[in-house]
Amino acid sequence: MKEQEIPPGWDYNPAAWSQRIPIVILATIGFFIAAYLSLYQLDILSNVWEPFFGDGSITIFNSKISHVLPIPDAALGAFGYLLDAVTGVIGNTKRWRTMPWIVIVFGLAVGPLGFVSVMLVVFQPVLFDSWCTLCLASAVISIVMIGPAMDEFLASLQYMKRAKDANVSVWRAFWGMKDVREKLT
Amino acid sequence: MWSLIISTLLGLWLMFAPGLLGLSSTAADNDHIVGPVIVTFSVIAFWECTQVMRKYNIPLGVWLLLAPWILGYEETVAIVNDMSTGFFVILLSLIKMKVEKHYGGGWSSLIQS
Repeated sequence: MKEQEIPPGWDYNPAAWSQRIPIVILATIGFFIAAYLSLYQLDILSNVWEPFFGDGSITIFNSKISHVLPIPDAALGAFGYLLDAVTGVIGNTKRWRTMPWIVIVFGLAVGPLGFVSVMLVVFQPVLFDSWCTLCLASAVISIVMIGPAMDEFLASLQYMKRAKDANVSVWRAFWGMKDVREKLT
Repeated sequence: MWSLIISTLLGLWLMFAPGLLGLSSTAADNDHIVGPVIVTFSVIAFWECTQVMRKYNIPLGVWLLLAPWILGYEETVAIVNDMSTGFFVILLSLIKMKVEKHYGGGWSSLIQS
C-alpha cells in the first residue's frame, strides 16, 4: 500500500514544507534574538539594543530572577528556539506518520513551552515595572509560531489514536515503526 | 477574523492602558497579566486548526468583570476600563467563525472512542 501524504480526513498535508518552513524561519529569528540577549547577560556585550524603553532592557536582564538559574534565561530561550527549528526541519513530508515522536516534541516545544516562555517575558512589567523591546519581539515570534505548528501535531496525535483504536501498539506508532504504518492509514 | 483582530487589540490595550491612564499598582498588575494572555489566545485562534483558543478568552473576560470587586479597585477609570474590556472580550469570543478546511475530525476526534 502506498502511503498517502495527506492524513485521512484532511484537505492538505500539515507536514508539507510550505507549512513548516515559515515556522523554522521564525524560530531561527527567535534564536538569534535570544542568543544576542544572552551575550549581554554573559557580559560579552556591554550594552543591549533598546530603542523605546530607556533602561528597561538593562533593568530586566540584571534582575535577580534572570540569574536564578546557572545559565542566563535568554540562553534558555535560545535553546528553546533551536529545539523548535531543529524539530521543525527534521523529517520528510510524511513525518506525521513516519516520525510522530519528532512532530510531538516539535508541537510541545512550540506550543506549551512557547506559551510558558511568552508568559515569563510579558510578566516583566509586573515584576520589574519595565519593558524590553527585544523581549517583546521574541514573545511576538513565539506567539505567531504556535497556531501554524499545531495542525501537524494534531495529525500525529490522530495517527496514534488510530493505532490505539486498531489495537496496534501506540508505542510503536509513536516511533513510526514500519509494521504499524502498514496496518494504519 | 475581525473579531480576533479586535480582541488582540483589546489585549494590547490592557498592556498599555495602566501607563497611559496612570493606574494604581493593583489594577496595573492585573491588566499587565491578563492583557498578554488575551493577545496570545487571540493570535493562536487566527489559525483554523486552533480556532477553539478564542473560547479560552471567555474566562479571562469574566475575570475582568469580577476583578475590580475582588481586588478592590479604588479608581473609577480602572473599574470601567476592566469591566468594559472584559465585556467586549466575552462578546467577541462568542462569535462563531467559519471553518473551511477539514482536519480529520479536529481535536475532539482524539477523545472520541
